[in-house]
Amino acid sequence: MLVRSIYRGIRSEFGRNVFGYGCRSSRGISTNALGINMDELPKLHPSLLKRAETLRVELEDLETKITSGTFDQETNVKFSTISSILEEFAKYENYRENVASIIEMLNEENGNDQEIIDDCVSELKEYIPKLISATSKVQVKLIPKVSNYDKPTIMELRPGVGGSEAQIFTNDLLSMYINFANTKRWGWEIISKTEGTLGGLTEAILSVNEPGSYDVLRHESGVHRVQRVPATETKGRTHTSTAAVVVLPKLSEGNESSLLEDERQFAPGEIRIDTMRSGGKGGQHVNTTDSAVRLTHIPTGIQVQQQDERSQPRNKAKAFSILRSRLAALDREREIAEQKSLRTTQVSTTDRSDKIRTYNYSQNRVTDHRCGFSLHDLEGCLSGEKLEDIIEAVEQEEVRERIESL
Amino acid sequence: MARISPRLIKDAYSISPLLPYFLRANPNISLAKQELKWVQEELPQSEWRKAARSRHNLYPLQYILGSQPFGSLDIICKEKVLIPRPETEEWVLRLCSVLKESAQNLSIVDACTGTGCIALLAKHELKDSAKVAAFDISTDAYQLSMLNRDAHKLDVNIVKADLSEPAQLMHICSSFDLILSNPPYIPLSDYKLPVTLNGIEKSVRKFEPKSALVGEMEFYDLLVQNLVRPFGASGFVFELGYREQAEFIRKQFCEEEWGSGILKDYSGNVRCSIGWKRGSNLDILERLCDEVL
Repeated sequence: MLVRSIYRGIRSEFGRNVFGYGCRSSRGISTNALGINMDELPKLHPSLLKRAETLRVELEDLETKITSGTFDQETNVKFSTISSILEEFAKYENYRENVASIIEMLNEENGNDQEIIDDCVSELKEYIPKLISATSKVQVKLIPKVSNYDKPTIMELRPGVGGSEAQIFTNDLLSMYINFANTKRWGWEIISKTEGTLGGLTEAILSVNEPGSYDVLRHESGVHRVQRVPATETKGRTHTSTAAVVVLPKLSEGNESSLLEDERQFAPGEIRIDTMRSGGKGGQHVNTTDSAVRLTHIPTGIQVQQQDERSQPRNKAKAFSILRSRLAALDREREIAEQKSLRTTQVSTTDRSDKIRTYNYSQNRVTDHRCGFSLHDLEGCLSGEKLEDIIEAVEQEEVRERIESL
Repeated sequence: MARISPRLIKDAYSISPLLPYFLRANPNISLAKQELKWVQEELPQSEWRKAARSRHNLYPLQYILGSQPFGSLDIICKEKVLIPRPETEEWVLRLCSVLKESAQNLSIVDACTGTGCIALLAKHELKDSAKVAAFDISTDAYQLSMLNRDAHKLDVNIVKADLSEPAQLMHICSSFDLILSNPPYIPLSDYKLPVTLNGIEKSVRKFEPKSALVGEMEFYDLLVQNLVRPFGASGFVFELGYREQAEFIRKQFCEEEWGSGILKDYSGNVRCSIGWKRGSNLDILERLCDEVL
């Protein structure tokens, strides 16, 4: 009885859901005398186990390749990523075996020797939390990564409904992401920024230059909603406004040297490039400072315009970089839609049209609607320090969803 | 110049008290905002008002800010020297991308170099695969191009020389493969016309040097007689503004020996005359042509 209560204690301490796959079907199946069942402990989904197996084979292949003298950057990087995944997997297996052997010992003992039971309980107390954390870690690593996960990020922010208050909120979001990048020590730059009225923004494009930042920031894509009393409100009423954030993987640097390669990604005639047409004869006749460049991707109709730089080639390079990112995002959306149509059950979407998060000023609360997580520290979120907590909650929710859909 | 409506001035003023000053040069408010932003980014606050007033007088923004981006270089701009144009930037970059692919050990000269932009960008793009020289008759241009060369630490030989004095040119080098130039090409009659009648912008007429703008056929004649022929060049690219000028240049060469064509700029205007000696390694210049003459 004692063991069971301790076990329950552990379970309630970490919450049922952290036990991961397998903890649902446990009730009523063979249990030992003390009520502990191996099936109730966290374990990996069979398809993830299969993936671990294929990775192991792949690693062996790479090993023979490397010992036979092949040496290039790609194999090396692959080797180190796979071995780090398998390392986590080995830890998970190790803990699971430990726990299994302790439970077996308990089963054999059947509650006769109190000293042994005490030992087992204290060991379980140590190993079960370790197993839980190892399982969730290895789950995240074993799930196939989204495409472009290792890339830097481009974030586009635009006000939605709510007029100038929405523009001000867009500015607040921009500074939140800048603060977040600063706390993570990630390099960033503002690609373009159009100011509206009263200190708001009608558009901003932020580039976060850290490779791999896309895998974190992509969870920010969607409509953000704010509920507060705007500075412009005279009667003290709370307003609701929104801003849309689009997160794209950054595929090129967006400077003169990347321009040539970017242009090569497209077939001739696929892109229409519009620049300011000089009045009259152009050349020496006129001296224009208008360096705006607009690209139109003809197959999709996507348009990108850049005018912030004084140099026309620089505007063009930036526009090409943004265009490539938008097209990559489009590909990903298509990919998700295809996967979704294959599934029988509909998973909740992270569609752009859905509001994903609410910033409620009067309650000092930020709630993410995808995972139901609430953070009661709005200041901390906007200063970039607590934003990671929310993103992690969303990430876990995504992992859970993806495992379910396997 | 179109009248600026009081409404537009009011709108501009509500965004920034300095913005209305930029409306004369940019009747479109978003362009005016863009210019004001660049002024605020590049100049100390104490100079903003002065800059706005100068711009109201149509004084070129490049002289106010002191520079103009040209390819990946920032070219220093000063009064009495022509400001580099985006059309020039476009053809120089196109030329360099063609030359980069194949041509090696080229010797290039840029005549009437002005700020030095063409020669410096060519050297910057082609690096050690080309030897680049440049000259200009104007002392102001000569000094400014030297300043630009030193600012970018590029190995370009710049001299002060007169295109009409072959003896002076012989000092630079004994032979050149490729001659580049953006000589004055606006006929005096058009120099006096407004931009709507295919003439020139008021800002250009008021503030940029007439000596860098006014010319018709004479400079192309000199370029062919004093540079292309005596130096044994096998290719040239000359910027121009009129189809007649391209046809004039075409007539200077025998069709069997020389190929020739026209390059158009992003606005679709005739912008360069291109020539290459048939069978030489510069016949790759044909790839630049939008139209072969």
